Parts: sequence; structure tokens; C-alpha cells
Amino acid sequence: MPAAGSILYYTLGVAGKTHPTHFEVLSFWKVARVNNPQTSFLVRHEFLLRRLHSLSGLIPVGAYMVIHLMVNASVLESAGVFQDKVYLIHSLGKLLPVVEWTFIFIPILFHGLFGLVIIKGGLPNTSQYPYQANLRYSLQRASGVVAFFFIMWHVFHMHGWIHASWWIDGVAAAWGGAQFKPYNAASTAGMALQSGLVIVGYSIGVLACVFHLANGIWTMGITWGVWTSAAAQQRASRVCTVFGVALAVVGLSAIYGMWQVGHGEGLEKARQVEDAMYASKRASGVLEDQPHKRSHPPASHTENKH
Amino acid sequence: MTTSTHDGNPEAINVRVLRQDGPGQASYWQRHRIAYEHDMNVISVLQKIATQSRDADGQPVAPVAWDCNCLEEVCGACTMVVNGKTQQACTALVDRLLAENPAEIELRPMSKFPVLRDLMVDRARMFQALKRVKAWIPVDGYSDMGPGPRQSQSRQQLAYPLSECMTCGCCVEACPQYTKIELTRRNGETDEQFATREEEAYNRGFVGAAAISQAMLFNENPTGQMNADERVDALTAEGGIQVCGNAQNCVVVCPKEIPLTKSIARAGRAATVRSIKRWLDT
Repeated sequence: MPAAGSILYYTLGVAGKTHPTHFEVLSFWKVARVNNPQTSFLVRHEFLLRRLHSLSGLIPVGAYMVIHLMVNASVLESAGVFQDKVYLIHSLGKLLPVVEWTFIFIPILFHGLFGLVIIKGGLPNTSQYPYQANLRYSLQRASGVVAFFFIMWHVFHMHGWIHASWWIDGVAAAWGGAQFKPYNAASTAGMALQSGLVIVGYSIGVLACVFHLANGIWTMGITWGVWTSAAAQQRASRVCTVFGVALAVVGLSAIYGMWQVGHGEGLEKARQVEDAMYASKRASGVLEDQPHKRSHPPASHTENKH
Repeated sequence: MTTSTHDGNPEAINVRVLRQDGPGQASYWQRHRIAYEHDMNVISVLQKIATQSRDADGQPVAPVAWDCNCLEEVCGACTMVVNGKTQQACTALVDRLLAENPAEIELRPMSKFPVLRDLMVDRARMFQALKRVKAWIPVDGYSDMGPGPRQSQSRQQLAYPLSECMTCGCCVEACPQYTKIELTRRNGETDEQFATREEEAYNRGFVGAAAISQAMLFNENPTGQMNADERVDALTAEGGIQVCGNAQNCVVVCPKEIPLTKSIARAGRAATVRSIKRWLDT
């Protein structure tokens, strides 16, 4: 077939070479594939790392966030319902930090830090090409950066990053961190969400995370080849939009619900329910006394019982 | 500043060109003013500029260099950035450009390739990308191999739009993930040494939408399918499909309206299947 041959020569001819033989093409191919020992780990495993980055955004990071926001929104039902779910999570006991680090913290750190590497490799050009998908390309990167710093702050603010008591009591608490106490879940989370600045910060952070996940699922479908045609990508984009809007409602409701149980009558009622639940768990022998998981100072009238 | 004639058209057109005297040199803007004619394209504008060889102030200047060949949007040689958008100069019609912006027409060389001179760029990286993904069917030989397998109508219809690619570079010019690679020649380096170094650098950069789509074109061909795995392996090597960030500018700016994002998603699916198989079967 001379036509195919001329395609080959055309290709190479335009590339500024004189007509090479097929052998030269093959040998060039081999040269190009030779492993360069100087290439870094990131470069040698670029495909695998990019796919792991894509996957980790959905599982476990994205999936965790969906559950996290839904659990938190359950505070709208009552402080007790939310507290019940926190007890379920904390029933993992000594395994909890292992699960946290394996399935939440390490994947988030990988996704976030490798995401910064990815951002470094691109040059957004939305002013020159202001097309919709291109705007979302830039927004995906911007929301990723916002989400990463928000999550860092959020985990410090509520959780304190690490469990060591010297850190939690000596450093984190002094810097406004580690405010969430799992056995006074709704009331401590609510009290941490009273300042207007914090509420605005959380709202922006949650919206950035939600956009990043919804748009990330859409791009992930293209990356892995789930939806290929323009029409299928359009349909997927509508589904992702509905998902994103719904999750944003859940997330913002959770912030509102926490704020509500963090002051006034809501706080008092939440404290009563939480302390009663703690007392009953203690009385039934399910729980050991774990003061570090409770608010300091604990509400006095229930604490006097033991 | 632009006076109109009785039929509403301007007497003259202002053209601003980003010029560069040679590879690696500093670029500079230059204004030109040429007489208006009906139905001009950017190529005829550049021809008038070359004829005048004088800038807007009347100073003698070297003619602006540009590349062109077919003049009917099938070769891709005259691709440049016209009024901020990458396109072919031959089908960039002056009347439409003036409707967008009557004040002037702005011409820049493509920003992702090394500039040779003025509006001429070296798109060797595009052709190197075709070599990387083996965008051909290796049927050369001494003996007659007979006719190839027949292609179904539906396959032909899938392949035809992809075969329209002219490697013009619009897709990668608009791509935020495709960043410029330009090497400078070292002291005492021969042409061959420089070319080798350049090819190595190009092989490590992002392969770009055009080459990904060509890999899919040849993977869809019944004969080309025999080398499908090699093409997918090339697409998962350094600078492969994983670099795509789904900004999808490529498909919007493609002058041939090639479904590039579909090709990218199909390449993504092929890469998914191939990498799982490689993991489980080898």
C-alpha cells in the first residue's frame, strides 16, 4: 500500500527530515523509549500517579466527604441523632486513628499535594479562551487549592490534627484548634461555628469542596473513558450538576444546623441530651471514662453524678 | 482614525504584528497600515504588508515572514494567533475580523512553538508526537500483501472526521496543559546533536490532542488495530494522555471540527483497559 507509506514519509518529511527508511523510524522509536535513569519518580510513574490521583478523589476522599456532610446534616434532626452517629464512628475505639489516617488523612494529603504538582504543570488561559469547560478547568484548580487549605484548617480547628495530649492540650487548643469533642459532638461543633468569620470560611470551604467533587466526577468520567461522546459528556455534566447542587444544600444545611445547636436554648438542650447519653453509656458499661473526648468543663449538673 | 468611504468600508486597515527577527530573539510589536479591499483574508493582508515593506510610520522595514501553502484550510501551515484566537490565516476573513474589532487586526505567532521568524513557527513537536504514537499503518514491505480487511460503513464514518486532521496545532495552542518547549543551541553543538536533544525534549512533553486523536484513528482501522497496544502504551508513557486536564479548548478551536474530546475519552478508556490488563496478565 503506497498510500500508507506516503503518509509515513509525509509525516517525517514535514518534520524537517529527509525521507528516512522504515528501519530508522523503528530505531528512533527505541531510542525514545529507552529509560532515562535521570527521570524522577514522578515522571516515570506519571500515568499511574495521575490515575491514582483521579481515583483517590472519588474513593476514598469524595465518598468520605459525602458521608461526612450527610452525618453532619443529621444535626438538623436533633443533637441526639448526630451524637448517636458520632458514637457509632467512635465505636472503632483504638482503631479509629488507624482508619482516619489510612482512609482519610493520607488520601487527602496525597490528593492535595499531588494536585499542587498537577496545577504547576498547566497555564490557565481563560481570558484568551473563555469557554465553559475551560472556565471549569481553572475553577477546578482554584477550588482544589481553596479546599486543600480549608481542610487543613478545618481538621486543625475541630480535630487538632494529631491525638497526642501534649499537642492537643498544649498547642492546638491554645491556637483555637481541637474544639470538637466527640462525646459532646453537636454542642462543641456548634460552639466552634458561632463567629461570622468562621461561618463564612466554612461556607466557602464546603462549596469549594463540593464543586471540586462534582466537577471532578465529570472529568474523571472522561479520564477513565466512562463517557466518551460529546452528548454523553453533556448528559453526565447535567447529572454531576444535580449531584453538586444537592450536596451543596446538604453541606450548608449542616453548617446551619451546627450553628443552631451552638448557642442559646439549642446549646442547652444539646448539652442535656449529650450528657444524658454519656451517662447512660457509662452506666451500661459500653464506655470507659474518656474525659479527653468530652467538653471542658463538662456541664456541672450531670457530671456531679459520678 | 479610520475614515470610511461612501460604502461604509474603511479606507485603510490597521494591522499590529508581533515580530521576531530570529529564533530565541526578543519579540516586538510593529504597526502597519494597508489599503482596504473587499473580501481580503489575513494572507492577502500579509502580502500587502510585504509589498509595502514599510510600517505605519512609513519607515522601511523587512517584510513580515509567514508560512502558507494550500490557502484552503487543509494544510495547516498558515496557523497563527489572529485577534487572540488561534486559526488559519487563509480562512481568517478581514471583513469578519473588522466586524469584531474595527480598530485593528492583531497578528501573533503561535505561542506554544519555537518562533523561526515573525509569524513562522517550528511545529516539529506536532510531527514528533505523531511518531511517538505511531500514527501510521506499518504495511511497507517487498511482497504484495494483498488487500486489507474491509471496513464497515459505521467504522468509516467514525474514522473520516479524525482523518481530516492537518496537524495545524490549533488544539495544542489553545490547550492550557500543553506548554512551550524551546531549546537553545549549545556552543559547538552540531545540527544533528541539537535535533536529537530537541526530539528527546519533545518526547517528554505532552503529546497533545491531535496525536491522541490520530492514535485513535489508526487503532480503529482494521489493519492499524494490530499495533493498538503499542499506541496505547505510548499514550500512557511520560507526557501521555494523563496530562490532559479536560479544559476541552481543543475541540472548540479545531478548524476541522474533529471530535477531539471524544478521541481523548476513548484513549482514556483504552488506557484504563490496557493498564488493568498489563497489571493482571503480564
